[in-house]
Amino acid sequence: MSEPPVVRTVNLVKIYQNGGVPVPAVRGVDLVVEPGQFVAITGPSGSGKSTLVHMLGGLDPRTSGEIWLDGKRADTMSESAWALLRRRKIGFVFQFFNLVANMTVADNVELPALLAGASARDARERREHLLGALGLTGRADASPAQLAGGEQQRVALARALSNKPSLLLADEPTGNLDSRNTRDVLRLLGEVHRDGQTIVLVTHDARVASMADRVVTLLDGEIVDDGALGTARRRPRGTAGDVVELRG
Amino acid sequence: MSTLRASARWVRADLRARRGQALLTVLAVAGIVTALITAATLLEDGTNPWRGLFTESRGAHVWIHTRDAPQVAALARLRGVARVAGPYRAAPVMLTRDGRRTPVTLRGMEARPPDVAVPLVRAGRWLRQGDGDGVVIERSFAEALGLRVGSSFTVTALNGALHPLTVVGLADTADQGFYPETTPGLAWTLTSTLVRIEPAPGRSEMVTGLRLTDGEDTLPVVHSAVTLLGGQIQRMSTWREVRASMELDNRLLGLLLALFGGVGMVAAALAIANAAGGRVLGQVRDLATLKSLGYTRGQIFCLLMAEHGALGMIGIAAGVVCGQLASSFALRGVPILPLSPVPLMAITAGTAVVVLVAVALPAWRGGRTAPIPAAPAAPLRGHLSHLARLALLVRLPAALVLGTRDAFTRRVPAFLSIFGVALPMMMIVVGLGCWATLDDFLRHPERVGQAAALTVRSDRLPAEDVARVSRADPGVAAVYPGSEVSALEPEQTRSVLVRAIGTSTDPYPFSVAEGRMFAARGEAVAGQGLLDLMGVRIGDRVRMTVGGTPLIVHIVGRVIEPEQDGEVLSLGLDSLAAKDAVPPQFHSLVLKDGADPATVRARLLAASGEALEVRRVVNPADRLSVIRGIIVALIAVLSLLGLANLLTASALGLRDHALDLAVLKALGLTPRQVTLILVTGTGLPAALGVLGGALAGAPLAAGLIELQGRTSGIGAGIGRAPSALTLTLAVLAAIGAALLVALIPARNAARARVPVTAR
Repeated sequence: MSEPPVVRTVNLVKIYQNGGVPVPAVRGVDLVVEPGQFVAITGPSGSGKSTLVHMLGGLDPRTSGEIWLDGKRADTMSESAWALLRRRKIGFVFQFFNLVANMTVADNVELPALLAGASARDARERREHLLGALGLTGRADASPAQLAGGEQQRVALARALSNKPSLLLADEPTGNLDSRNTRDVLRLLGEVHRDGQTIVLVTHDARVASMADRVVTLLDGEIVDDGALGTARRRPRGTAGDVVELRG
Repeated sequence: MSTLRASARWVRADLRARRGQALLTVLAVAGIVTALITAATLLEDGTNPWRGLFTESRGAHVWIHTRDAPQVAALARLRGVARVAGPYRAAPVMLTRDGRRTPVTLRGMEARPPDVAVPLVRAGRWLRQGDGDGVVIERSFAEALGLRVGSSFTVTALNGALHPLTVVGLADTADQGFYPETTPGLAWTLTSTLVRIEPAPGRSEMVTGLRLTDGEDTLPVVHSAVTLLGGQIQRMSTWREVRASMELDNRLLGLLLALFGGVGMVAAALAIANAAGGRVLGQVRDLATLKSLGYTRGQIFCLLMAEHGALGMIGIAAGVVCGQLASSFALRGVPILPLSPVPLMAITAGTAVVVLVAVALPAWRGGRTAPIPAAPAAPLRGHLSHLARLALLVRLPAALVLGTRDAFTRRVPAFLSIFGVALPMMMIVVGLGCWATLDDFLRHPERVGQAAALTVRSDRLPAEDVARVSRADPGVAAVYPGSEVSALEPEQTRSVLVRAIGTSTDPYPFSVAEGRMFAARGEAVAGQGLLDLMGVRIGDRVRMTVGGTPLIVHIVGRVIEPEQDGEVLSLGLDSLAAKDAVPPQFHSLVLKDGADPATVRARLLAASGEALEVRRVVNPADRLSVIRGIIVALIAVLSLLGLANLLTASALGLRDHALDLAVLKALGLTPRQVTLILVTGTGLPAALGVLGGALAGAPLAAGLIELQGRTSGIGAGIGRAPSALTLTLAVLAAIGAALLVALIPARNAARARVPVTAR
C-alpha cells in the first residue's frame, strides 16, 4: 500500500463574513500533495492563496469541505487538536518572519522542538545543527532585532524545521526580502526539499514558483491551473560544497 | 513537561524585556500587602499590647483569688489546664510617696522567676535572694507614680506599720490591665518580705494562675474550678477582661487602614489588569506566532496567568516579609509578634485572588488571539472625540489636537487610565486630609474640646489655694474649677460621666459643634456619644441621678468630645448640687498662646512646693501619631500604583502610534510636535485623573473623618480637608510626574528612526 498523500483537500471552501456580507475567499479547492512534493501556490493578490495555506495549517477554520493530513481527517478537529497537530507535523514560515522579539535566535529555534516533546538537549543539538546548516551559528545569542531581514527569514526557516515537520507551509517567505536574500532562502528551501521535505509555498513571484515541482494557480479562490514542472527545469543538484544535510 | 520548558523560556525572555514594568508590578503588590499586614499587625498588637505581653510572659488565662492556698494538684489536673502559676500570697498595702497615698497589691514571689505568668523585667532586674526591701513594680503603675529603678517609698500595711521599699526593677505583665484603668497597682516582692510587711494571713489572699492549653476553653475551666474550689474563691479574672482593659480606641485607625487597604487593593488590581492587558495587547503578534507553533488557547492562557500571576505572587511574598519588618519597625519598644495566621492567610489569599482575577481577563483575551500572526491588531477607529473637536474649535496647536484625539481613541483604555490615576490620587488626598485633621488637633486643641492643656489637683492644698497658685503663673490664661461625677442615666442601667467645669456665667471654652453653649443653671452640652447612648437630641431635657440626687438638665448644644467615646455630659459647676460641686476636684488651666505646658507644669510644681498634682491633657492626635507613618507609606504605595498605570498607558500609546509616527513625520511634523502629540495622548487622561481624584478626594476626606467622628462618639466637626495649598501642590506634583513619565519615552520615540513595517 502506498503512502497516503501529505495533504488532501476535498471541495475546501472559506467564506469570510464582512459586516454581514459573505466574501468567498476559497471556493471549492481539491488539492492533493504527495510526500516529498514541492508545491507552489501562486496567483494574484486576493486569490485566496494565503487563506488556503492557513486552512491547511489550521490557523484559519474552513467553512466547508474536508482537509486530510497524512491520511487523517483534520478539518473536524478542535482548535486545540490543531495546535497539537501543528507541533508534531507542521512548520510555518511567514512573510514577516514573526520571530518572537524578546527571545534570542537560539530560543526561537528551540521553541517548536521543545513543544514537540524533544528534551532540552535534543532541542539544543537540533538548533545547533540547523543554525550551522543555515550559516547562523554565530548569531545564536543575538536578538531577532539585531538581524538583517534575510537572516531573520533564515532563522524563521530553521524554526519551522526544528520540530521535523512532515509538511512545511511557507506564506510568501520571500515577499519581504531583496533579491539576494530571496535567492538564499530559495536555495535553502530547495535543499530541504531535496532531502525529502514536503513543501507548500505561497508566492505571487513567478521566479519563486519556478523552483517548485508543481505550480498551482489560484484565481478568485478556485484552482485555474495545476501543472507539474518538468524535472529538467529543476536546478541541477547543488554545486559542490553547499550541500547541506538538513534532515538528520 | 516540554511545554513547560518552552513556556518558561518565553516567560523569562518576556520578563527580561520589561524588567522595569515587572518590578513596578511586584513593588505595587508588595506595597499593598505590606500596608495591609502592617495595618493588621498594628491593630492586633499596637492597639492591644495584651497579645504580645501574654505570649511573651506565657501568661495565665485564669486567675483565682482565694483566702487560703487552693489544691494546686487538683487544679492542675482539671481538663484543659496546662500549667499552674503560684499560688502566690498577695496583700493590699498603701504606697505613700510625696504625700500621696496609692493602694497597691504586693505579690510575694521567689527569686527564681516562675515558668508561667513571668513578670517581664523591662528595666533594672528581677528580685534576688536577700533583697529584703527590694520591689519590682508593674511598669504602667511605676510610670503613673513617677517611680524609677532606685526610687524609694514606704508602704503602710493594714496594721499601720510603715516599711521602706526600694525599686529594683520595672516589669510588664499580662496578669492584669494597665494602671490606672486597672487598680490597685501591682508590685512584686520576695515572699519573705511580704510576710514581714503583712504577717497576718487573714489580711492577705492567695492568687493562683491557670495556663490553659487553649484559651477558648476558658469558660469550662472556670466552671470546673468553681466546682472544685467552691466557696474558697473570692474573685476570679480571665484573660478576656485583661485584654479588654488594655484595648485602646482603635476604630479610627482600623477604619483608615481598612479604607486605604481596600481602595489600595482595587487600585492595585486595576494597575495589574492594566499592565497585563497592555502587555498582552502589545504581544498580539508574538502570541499568534506561539499559536502557529502549536500552543493551544488554554496553554496561552496558562502561560500569561503564570507570568503575570507570578509577579503578583512574588509581590505578595515580598509584602509578607516587608509587612513583618515594617510592623516591627513601627512598633519599636512593644513586644513584636508575627501576625496571627488567620488575618495573614486572609490578606495573602485575598491579594492572590485579586491578582489572579485581575490577570485572568487579559490572559483570556491573549488566549483568544487568532493564530495568524500576520493579522494586524484591531485597527483603531479614528473618530474625533468631543474634546478633540472642542480643541479644534478653539484653534489649539495641531499637535495638541492630535494628542487629544489620541487620548480618547480607545475608549476603554482611556477610561482605565483616568480611573487608574484618579483612584490613587483620591486616596492620597484622603490621606492628606487625615494628616490635616491630625495637624488641626495638635495646633488647635481647643477646637477638639481640649482648650485646657493642664489639669491641677491637690489633696494637700485647699481648692482656693490651687486656683490662686495657678492664676499666679504667667503662662496661664484662665483657670476653670471643675468636678467629675458619675451619673446614672434614666434607665439606671449604666452610668455616664458628668463633667462640671466652669460656671454657667463663665463657661469653660468647649468646642460647640451644634446648638449653643450652656448659659444658665440647668443647661448642659453633650458629646455625640452621649446623645446616641441616651437617644436624645439637642433641646431635650434629661433626668439623671447623681449619688441619689436628681439632676435634670436641658441639653442646649453638642460639643466635640474626644474622651470616654463622647459619652460625657458637660455643664456648669453651679448646675450640680453643692455636695458634688464644692470644693471643686480639680482646676483646668487654659494656657496663653505660646506657653509650653511642660514649663508651666514645672513652674507650678515649684511654686506649690510639689503639693500640686499637675497632669498634661493627652491630645487624641498624640495617640494617633502612628497614623502619620501609615499615611506616608500609603501615599508612597499609591503613587507607585499611579505610576504603574501611567507607564502602561504610555507604552500602549506608543505602541498604537508606532506606525502613525512615520506618517506624521512624513506629513511634516517636527520631532517636537510628535513628542507633544504623544505626551498629550498620555498626559491628558492622567491630568484628568489627577484632577478628578483630587476633586473627589477633598470632600471625601472630610466626609469620611466626620463619619468616623460621629460613629466614635467624638462627634462631627473635626474633619479637615487638606488646605488649598497642599491640594494644589499635590495636584501639580502628580501632573508633573505624569508628564515626565510620558515625556521620556515619547522623546525617544519621536527621535528614533521609525521603520515602516507591518505590526
